[in-house]
Amino acid sequence: MTQEEIIVNDLKEKFANIAASIIIQRPRRIFLEVSQAQFLEVFDYCVKKIGFPHLCTITGLDEIEKFILIYHLAQDNGNILNIKTSVSKENPVLKTIINYYAGAEIYERELMDLFGMKVEGLPEGNRYPLPDDWPKGQFPLRKDWDPKSLENK
Amino acid sequence: MFKDLFYILVFPGFAFLSLFALAAEFYDRKLYARLQNRVGPPWFQPLADFIKLCAKEDVIPEAANQNIFKVMPVFVLASVVTASFYIPLWNNTALLSFNGDVIVVLYLLTIPTLGFFVGGWYSSSLFARLGSVRTITQLFTYEVPLFMGILASALLADTWSLSELVSFYSQHGWLWLCNFVGFAVCLLALLGKLEKTPFDIPEAETEIVAGSFTEYSGRLLAFLRLSTDIEMIVGSALLAAVFLPFSFNLGPGLGFILFISKVMFIVSLLSLARTVAARLRLDQMITFCWKILTPLALLQVFINLILKAKLIR
Amino acid sequence: MHDSHKFKIPIGPQHPALKEPESFSVALKGEKILGVDIRLGYNHRGIEKACEERTFLQDVYLVERVCGICSHSHSTCFVQAVEEIAGLEIPSRAKYLRTLIAELERVHSHLLWLGVAGHEIGFDTLLMYTWRDREIVMDILAQFTGNRVNYGMNTIGGVRRDIDVSQVKDALKAVDTLQERTKYYIEIATSEVTIIKRLSGVGVLSYEDALRLDAVGPTARASGVKRDVRKDDPYAAYADVSFDVITDNHSDVYGRTVVRLKELLESFKIIRQVLENLPAGPIAIKAPRKIPAGEAISRYEAPRGEDVHFVKSNGGEKPERVKIRAPTLANVQAVKHMLKDRFLADMPIVIAAIDPCFSCTDRSIEISYLDDARKKEVLTWPELHAYSIDWHRKRGIDFSSLNKKLKEGFKTS
Repeated sequence: MTQEEIIVNDLKEKFANIAASIIIQRPRRIFLEVSQAQFLEVFDYCVKKIGFPHLCTITGLDEIEKFILIYHLAQDNGNILNIKTSVSKENPVLKTIINYYAGAEIYERELMDLFGMKVEGLPEGNRYPLPDDWPKGQFPLRKDWDPKSLENK
Repeated sequence: MFKDLFYILVFPGFAFLSLFALAAEFYDRKLYARLQNRVGPPWFQPLADFIKLCAKEDVIPEAANQNIFKVMPVFVLASVVTASFYIPLWNNTALLSFNGDVIVVLYLLTIPTLGFFVGGWYSSSLFARLGSVRTITQLFTYEVPLFMGILASALLADTWSLSELVSFYSQHGWLWLCNFVGFAVCLLALLGKLEKTPFDIPEAETEIVAGSFTEYSGRLLAFLRLSTDIEMIVGSALLAAVFLPFSFNLGPGLGFILFISKVMFIVSLLSLARTVAARLRLDQMITFCWKILTPLALLQVFINLILKAKLIR
Repeated sequence: MHDSHKFKIPIGPQHPALKEPESFSVALKGEKILGVDIRLGYNHRGIEKACEERTFLQDVYLVERVCGICSHSHSTCFVQAVEEIAGLEIPSRAKYLRTLIAELERVHSHLLWLGVAGHEIGFDTLLMYTWRDREIVMDILAQFTGNRVNYGMNTIGGVRRDIDVSQVKDALKAVDTLQERTKYYIEIATSEVTIIKRLSGVGVLSYEDALRLDAVGPTARASGVKRDVRKDDPYAAYADVSFDVITDNHSDVYGRTVVRLKELLESFKIIRQVLENLPAGPIAIKAPRKIPAGEAISRYEAPRGEDVHFVKSNGGEKPERVKIRAPTLANVQAVKHMLKDRFLADMPIVIAAIDPCFSCTDRSIEISYLDDARKKEVLTWPELHAYSIDWHRKRGIDFSSLNKKLKEGFKTS
């Protein structure tokens, strides 16, 4: 059994309800999908029990009806676990993971600025990456964002 | 009266010193460049820089103390030019001389540093203030070894006059070689005084932009730069007189050439030091000056005391 | 300033220590740093958004311009993701050529860094020497790709230019010279007193902190974290070549210098192996215009550390989403930690020691009014020309009569 299969079987055993979404896309690439409610539980298990010492980044996606977040976790042997979760567009609130990875702070701030998500538990700090005088309510990486809306501010 | 004016303004005063300083700056820059495997500037570059700066607008920060800000470059320039009058160039007698002029020269050479401090402080810029604080902190570290090194040499000659010091060593053959430790100490201290690498802490570009000079521009900067150049050759000339006091009887022609070569030799040593070292931190420089340079200067004083006792006997 | 004995100085957005605009606001007490406030984002150009509006092939050239120094890193990382989605297996010669350019890029980047580090600690001689030697590798890169930076080597499905035997010979000779020089720099860096004094014990990032703050690349490796995408997650031809992952236990700026210098030697090793074992065959395969729906994450060991690209396609000509995480973004968070309780004088070298590349770090948001005829913000060259003439004419400067005269003069003569 390859390393990826060991991880996948472990996860499938532990979280039977999401077993269908856990796939090995190619060697060293594992994808899984989990609801926002169950996210922290799965995340905690992956980080603490299976052990992923490195967070590559967090990707935000605008899927029109909802936002998708992908947490890319890496092991030192090259395995990447991509945990997908989603938040609703009306109330895009997610929980911070800086307790797991202190370096995640800047990735979460990026989500706040570019998608307009709210991150619970993130301390006050400088915004990133937009300028301080960026108009409120403009989130450039949303699919419905129109750069022209900046003209008549 | 006319003769005095000639001395002050033309030779060996302002005009000669300025030209010599610009030439020395070119030499320093060219040597520095060649040592770094670069082409380096053409011979007229320092003069061109001076003229260019003079043609530019003087910008004075609104918050700065206008008078002090403007007067400081002139003040600095005057003090270094004055110091040069007491240094013997090619014969035993300097333009001006009295017993105790060693101390006067050293004090006159401290004025530029104080000038940089005051000018930087009153320009009311954060970087300039930080630079001036560093300038003054640095002053306390290199001044003591510099004074002790030079005074050790004067101690052996038993005089406080530079002219007499030079004639003493001229008469005593190779005795000046005994001051070698003092020479090394003073050379390093002079690097600190001239704020050159590894002691260019007060104007560390990557930390505090240009230190005290940050807010200076135009003519004021041109004169500040000229003063630092003159300070470099006056400092080198002082070291040449105190530590290389040989052949002061060759007459104006050869003597003059010898004087120039001595100064250039010291300038070369300064360039060389600048090429091979990285900038130290302020705390490292303080440690270095007080724990290494000052004891070495003390050692020189001690050696000279013993030598003197033997010579007198 | 007098009352609190504490003041703030702005290092950036414009400052001689920084080669790119970023703001570090430093609270000082005397020479001691009490705290640093980092504000990023001054280089935000909107590349992620712009990628969504262009075709996959155009994006290759766009992401190449994320950064001037590690341009090959970004484009390779991007095409790898796209090729994975499209299921393209590129020819092995292309893989080797990608590896070759990647390592040459690492050499030029590390030499550049060494020079900058020298400048930051006031050692300009080192800057002049390393940048002189960097020209050797720049020449080789120009010979292979036609460009000194932004090589334009990658395309979806392979590489665009082949190399021939004489170029290989030149490159091998250059590598020999560079190796000799690198050994000299290692000797200098490990023996020159002032360099060691300025570098050791400065900007300490312990093994635990490097893990906690997610440091990548030489910054992490200098803290003993053995993490290198080339080894852990091999891409291009890295699985076929042998090299060592350099780590160091100094955990300070000195360690980072040693790691980078020794990595140079490893790079030379890789370049030699690649040049000697270059497989024959085609350099690219044809890629479809439309990339099938799917998503992929691609990693790449850029000179500064791990570069991450995530690409999602919805089956069209343009990507649905391109996410770029440049190595500096992962490392910049460690800087704050490294600067605590250090001296102001250490600041430039500590920042420089992560080899920051802020234009990599900041990317998104592009404002284009291309469709808006009324207020065009992107002008073509003749439009810009006409605009400037008009601008001057409005202010009373008119050269049109002079222009006419000049033209007539040319005709008559």
